[in-house]
Amino acid sequence: MGSRRAAILCLAVLLAFCACEWNLWAIATRKTVEQRVQENLTGQPPAPGPVPVNPDSFRFAVFGDPQVEHDNVNNLGRFRQDVAAKGIDFFCVLGDLTNDATADEVDSIKLDLDRVGIPCYVTIGNHDLFQADGWERFKENYGPSCYPVVIADRIKLIFLDTADGTIGSTQFDWLENELQDSRFIKIVLTHYPIYDGEEPIMWRIASPVERAKLQSLLEKYGVYAWCAGHIHGWRHAVVEGVNHFTCGTMVSGALDYGTGKGYLLFTFVHDSLSWQRVVFE
Amino acid sequence: MTRLLVALALAGATCYATVASSVLLGYRGEPGVESKMLATAMADIVPIPHLKVDAGLSFNLFQNNGLGAAGLGLGAVLFRPAGLTLRLAVQHQQWNDWQAGENRALATIEAGPVFGFEAGFGVARRVSVFDAGDYWSPFVWSSSASEWNYVYRLTWEFRQKESWWLKAGFSSYDLFTVHSPQQFPLCLSGSYALKDNLDLVADVGTAIVGYSGGLASFHELTLNAGVRYGF
Repeated sequence: MGSRRAAILCLAVLLAFCACEWNLWAIATRKTVEQRVQENLTGQPPAPGPVPVNPDSFRFAVFGDPQVEHDNVNNLGRFRQDVAAKGIDFFCVLGDLTNDATADEVDSIKLDLDRVGIPCYVTIGNHDLFQADGWERFKENYGPSCYPVVIADRIKLIFLDTADGTIGSTQFDWLENELQDSRFIKIVLTHYPIYDGEEPIMWRIASPVERAKLQSLLEKYGVYAWCAGHIHGWRHAVVEGVNHFTCGTMVSGALDYGTGKGYLLFTFVHDSLSWQRVVFE
Repeated sequence: MTRLLVALALAGATCYATVASSVLLGYRGEPGVESKMLATAMADIVPIPHLKVDAGLSFNLFQNNGLGAAGLGLGAVLFRPAGLTLRLAVQHQQWNDWQAGENRALATIEAGPVFGFEAGFGVARRVSVFDAGDYWSPFVWSSSASEWNYVYRLTWEFRQKESWWLKAGFSSYDLFTVHSPQQFPLCLSGSYALKDNLDLVADVGTAIVGYSGGLASFHELTLNAGVRYGF
């Protein structure tokens, strides 16, 4: 290839990136998962506290990727109907709140999540970091990206920051420490899946060695489920007693398995936890 | 397996086979995941024309101690001028501290070297084993966490002098490992001839991860150095 052709190709690639709304400089210089987790562990901003629920019977929903764009099209209005109809006490969002992390998108999804009218826990996704102030805005609106919450002294929800497609050494230590608590049913909620089926896709936690270590920890400490988003569809697998959910999404389009929009609904009744998938018709 | 080893030994005994063996010490690190030393032995054997065999064992030191990985590959040379080779391989990897293992089968088409370039492409079946009683076994080929991966390789020997060469490129697989499609592995290797049939060899590798949607970071580091002796 001649140097002139190479230059034209480079220019075309550069223009293609400039055409999208991602801030490439911000992406290149962003805080890494290690830096974000170390900030989280300072306790500032504080992690969200437990929501008050009936300790003998409560329900919560989990989904990923509202991923709103400038037109703010999402299905949270449809979800709001289910909140009343199904008696959902709170919900968890597994990252990628916006597509490009622009100020407009960040403000509009925050408004829509508030409008649902029940408490909400959030963790961060890769798309939430696509602007220079992505992490700062996330912290301002939702608090830390990794934190534990114990609901009704029964269930421990562990929110993990996998927005970089990896865990990082500090968060790995933190996770193992949180998992050692044997008093509760434990669920890990995060953006990237560990395992979501046999196809050779590019949207899982990247390293097979990291995945082996994570699965080993989940099994060792009797974790009930790993709940993830990132892929805009539904998957469920059980690996050595650990449920692996790709929970569904509030947006349709790319990365959809073809399984439709919806969410994962957990029901806790009399010390027993069950789950079901809810599909939007 | 035993028959294959016997056949290779017989071929070697008749002085027909060409054999090159390597012994290396190395390091593999991945933030938060593992940080360990490696001791590796490998052999490349051509027992008969048009057949290539490569095999090896790798041991972990200081973390997940003990046997870490084993690999065996058989290549049928289909078209010698382009080095076109159909290669079938099996691998076993284990992490003793985590009681986790993985068995893999690969089928690849490889070509080269042609003008210093070598390429390969194929598929791998990855079978993760987390059962405490079975994770060490290379004979477990079903699991609730199996998956298909595609594998690829493109390297370029960009410097070649009389006594040394350097090669760079990307390669998602080797004798002991198969990277996932979410990783983009980069490698640099080199060799320096110490004397007839004895080379100093070394390689360094890393992988870019998390590049879905633009975020990317270097994630792992592998280093190996040792000697290679040709019989």
